[in-house]
Amino acid sequence: MTVALTRTKVEQALSHDFEAVAAKLPGGRAVTEARKAAIGTFAALGLPHRRIEQWKWTDLRSALKEPLSPAVGGAAKTSAPDIDAALEDLAALDAYRMVFVDGQHVPELSTVAAAKGLEIASLAAALAKSGDHAGDGLIAASAIGQEAVIALNTAFMTDGAVIRIGKAVRLDKPLLLVFARTATEGRLVTTRNILELGDGAHATVIEAHVALRGAAPGQANTLSDVSVGDGAHLTHTKCTVAGEAASHLATWLATLGKAATYHAFQLTASTGLARNNLFVTFKGEGAKLDISGAFLGRGAEHIDTTLVVDHAVPGCESRELFKGVLADKAHGVFQGKVIVRPDAQKSDGKQMAQVLMLSQDAEFDSKPELEIHADDVVCGHGSTAAEIDEDLLFYMRSRGIPTAEARALLIESFIVEAIDKVGDERVRAALAGIATRRLATLSASQP
Amino acid sequence: MLEIKNLRVKLADEDKLILNGVSLEVPKGQVHAIMGPNGSGKSTLAYVLAGREGYEVIDGEVLWNGEDLLAMEPDERAAKGVFLAFQYPMEIPGVATLTFLRTAFNAVRRKRGQKELTTPEFLKRVREEATSLGIADEILKRPVNVGFSGGEKKRMEILQMAVLEPSLCVLDETDSGLDIDAVRVVSAGVTKLRSKDRAMLVITHYQRLLNYIVPDKVHVMAGGTIRKTGGKELALELEKTGYAEFKSKALESA
Repeated sequence: MTVALTRTKVEQALSHDFEAVAAKLPGGRAVTEARKAAIGTFAALGLPHRRIEQWKWTDLRSALKEPLSPAVGGAAKTSAPDIDAALEDLAALDAYRMVFVDGQHVPELSTVAAAKGLEIASLAAALAKSGDHAGDGLIAASAIGQEAVIALNTAFMTDGAVIRIGKAVRLDKPLLLVFARTATEGRLVTTRNILELGDGAHATVIEAHVALRGAAPGQANTLSDVSVGDGAHLTHTKCTVAGEAASHLATWLATLGKAATYHAFQLTASTGLARNNLFVTFKGEGAKLDISGAFLGRGAEHIDTTLVVDHAVPGCESRELFKGVLADKAHGVFQGKVIVRPDAQKSDGKQMAQVLMLSQDAEFDSKPELEIHADDVVCGHGSTAAEIDEDLLFYMRSRGIPTAEARALLIESFIVEAIDKVGDERVRAALAGIATRRLATLSASQP
Repeated sequence: MLEIKNLRVKLADEDKLILNGVSLEVPKGQVHAIMGPNGSGKSTLAYVLAGREGYEVIDGEVLWNGEDLLAMEPDERAAKGVFLAFQYPMEIPGVATLTFLRTAFNAVRRKRGQKELTTPEFLKRVREEATSLGIADEILKRPVNVGFSGGEKKRMEILQMAVLEPSLCVLDETDSGLDIDAVRVVSAGVTKLRSKDRAMLVITHYQRLLNYIVPDKVHVMAGGTIRKTGGKELALELEKTGYAEFKSKALESA
């Protein structure tokens, strides 16, 4: 049954804005057709709202009240030191860099070039070259389901990173993709990345979604389309500190080949509204997935992680550990679904979500789900929400540690277990630094 | 000097009187033992001295070197030299023992106006104490008390005590759950800390521990008050007669 709904101001503006900017968006005829189809899909669906099961705790229709105009071209001038300041501890990471400002690639700030076995380009350039064919999987993601957020991404995407790593090629340094917001007026910034690892390739990729000082509230819609080849190994990390008045809609779509390893991690903090959507599908046997995250919320921040892990083939292993700290009136959401298809015997899936509540007014909603159609599997999940243990606090205070310091130590020790899951030691240290700085403000905001 | 005067304490959220007029003095340089049956209020006294929440002092006072101990927060008490060795030490997942020790050490040093030690100085200090307590280096890197045996936890309490240099040591059933070898090691650690500047209150159910930590005085506690005070020989008497005499008296007064 379809219920006719009155379109909100934002929904109307999005459809209207598409007409206005369509001609400026990159891509040949096939891409343009895909964009038009996508905005049509969006017009039919509208923004996700609470009556859609997967969005019941993150009602975008009521959360996104003010229309923002899409950012197309003309990124504000930005300097490397400004980017470094926004990157905090990640700035010192010895990595190749690709920088996008307000959804536009900025070659001057980027330090990576194609090499043997490494194809690297901006999505805008790749789309421009695509002519009448949208080939090479540039818009493949739009084929996934009827997701309004993905449809919007296809319709409005301006740029992003296209990385293809050849067979058995090892990237010698991590690749840092920086998505910075500078606009002095709120904008809708839409980016898409394509990450393809050939068989046996190895790479570490970090996405940093940050706001430069003085950036206006904005909305980001970002999508990463990931494919990890047979025996390939990808460490994929996302650090989102987009700003208290910003919203961040992120989708990761990943497929894993035979005996592939995908080590993913997401840190989300200091972001007004975040929805991290993750879809991972095992395509080949014997693959391993470790997807974890840490989220830190304060004020009225809302952080949602929704993931679907699809054991479509036998003998794969999935591990998820998500930990959050919620202060003030922050709202955390975790929805984790593990599907084991009928043929996927010997699947091994474990999932855990744990939250530390620092305030009576904070809220955590959790829905772990197992959908198992095979009989020879090991799967488990769990979810907990707890407050700081007063007995532990007393123990520490009895040793002379002042309350604030004891609380901070307990909160940090709680979140460290998740951050320890970051697959690369240097990246882990940087994220730990960024998280610790946020934790200090979280524990200080309490009585 | 520790002065406890007519201390009456009830549970904060229940009308249950636990300490019913405890009076006691422990001068610096002395070790006093408190013995008594289960449920006599011994552990409550230890917790009240350390400042645990959940109790309400309805009468009496506790002075430490002339200062009102009950008016202080637990961490202030620690800075003033109070240390409670817990009967059941807490496990703190995710916090390495060395980090915990260092944080506590620096916090009390700052409050006491003493200089903090450099990392190598601090490590040297901790390792020396740990070695004499038979605590392996590897254990110091593990999270506080997580997965430790009962004996390891109690040794860790004594290590913390040695590192934090308290002037009032309260040991709550430090011997419980320990085999005789562990009792010896722990007692030697405590005995080493005896000094003319330090007062100690050793709470125990059994006389055994007092063979190793020889007290200057023994107090028998029952029904929330001190029933009898004597020299170290009182402990031996109790070993023979048990607490029956005090239990019945406690019932009469209740």
